[in-house]
Amino acid sequence: MRSPFRPDIVPDTAILDNHKPLIRSLERRGVIRGSLSLGALVLLTGCDVKRPEAVESALLAISRLNDGVQALLFNPNRLAPTYPASMILRPPKFNAYYDVMDVKPVDGATWRLEVSGRVADKRPWTLQDLRAMPQTSMVIKHICVEGWSYIGGWSGPTLRIFLERIGADLSAKYVAFKTADDYPSSIDMATALHPQTLLAIQYGGDTLADPFGYPVRLRMATKLGYKNPKWITAIEVTNTYPGGYWEEKGFPWFAGL
Amino acid sequence: MMHSVSKRILVGSCFLAAAVNLVHAQSTTPGGMPPPPGMSLANSTAMRFPQPVRVGDLLGREVLRPVESQDILGRVRGLVRDRDGRIMVVVDFGGFLGIGARPIAVPVDAMVLLGQDMEIVAFTPDQLRHFPTFSPSGTTDVADDTIIKVGLAKPSH
Repeated sequence: MRSPFRPDIVPDTAILDNHKPLIRSLERRGVIRGSLSLGALVLLTGCDVKRPEAVESALLAISRLNDGVQALLFNPNRLAPTYPASMILRPPKFNAYYDVMDVKPVDGATWRLEVSGRVADKRPWTLQDLRAMPQTSMVIKHICVEGWSYIGGWSGPTLRIFLERIGADLSAKYVAFKTADDYPSSIDMATALHPQTLLAIQYGGDTLADPFGYPVRLRMATKLGYKNPKWITAIEVTNTYPGGYWEEKGFPWFAGL
Repeated sequence: MMHSVSKRILVGSCFLAAAVNLVHAQSTTPGGMPPPPGMSLANSTAMRFPQPVRVGDLLGREVLRPVESQDILGRVRGLVRDRDGRIMVVVDFGGFLGIGARPIAVPVDAMVLLGQDMEIVAFTPDQLRHFPTFSPSGTTDVADDTIIKVGLAKPSH
């Protein structure tokens, strides 16, 4: 039935179509599932739905609110589920924003991990240095925002131990990563200090293979797959929001599980 | 409109959820591309960072078509060496819910690993339909504990 309150001049429905991907990403957060209609968009943006930037900034504001709520809900001591080693998928699933043929392997012998920002000791790290740290192993599920998942077994020093070792300001807001494949990323400090956040250098007990991020990648049990950069070359501790590859394109930054 | 938007999501992103500036997202290589014309299957596998995998772990895996819809082409029944020593994957191909499928032998270098699944990247479903039904005579089974190397691809969706 047609609503008696329906205005005579209705906004162009193409606006919803134009922003369908972003709306869908927001719906996946579950917070506003089913509640976002053209009318709601109009309210959010002060009726100016004809201006794409206005719609975009309104949607991004919701996304940022979701990030904030997720950060509040995050329990730094609560562990994500783990699985028996027999369930590890060997080899793991490859994924990147490009196909495997475009992977550029990193030479572990000359590779250095740069450290910057709010840290006391900015000496670069070698792979040997990382191997000499206390190692932690975890068998966790890798969950992609796209809907697929697999169980993988990762080992390496926890990011917490690494941050403590370099004398990082643990009250800073962000830990940012740069990678050899130009895939910048960043996480909140609470997650960086979580016991299931590793600088992974092994998979299934073997040295990490080239397509999966050799020599070192991030693996977190508490965030979606795209928050786990591979082929890490630099780590920065900062209070300035660093963003990330997909985040710049509108993906949620917190991306907690 | 919706169709073209979803296309853009699929090209180059691993994500179903999406991006503000997808219109401007860089064009990236889709996963599971067929080998370039003239290139041997072995050479094309070499470009796909072949990884060690236990043969027994491949049995029963779904075999997908490297397209957005990821149509299921069949399931891995077993692995054999043919008369020339090439490793072939015997795929229960076609049919509906496994009924009416027939076994065909696909060179392992025509396939890639995709997490828990496999894909046939070097042959189209039409070409596969013309593959002869597999006959085990002259072939030898590859033992479950054998470690072979299989190329990778990113998801095609």
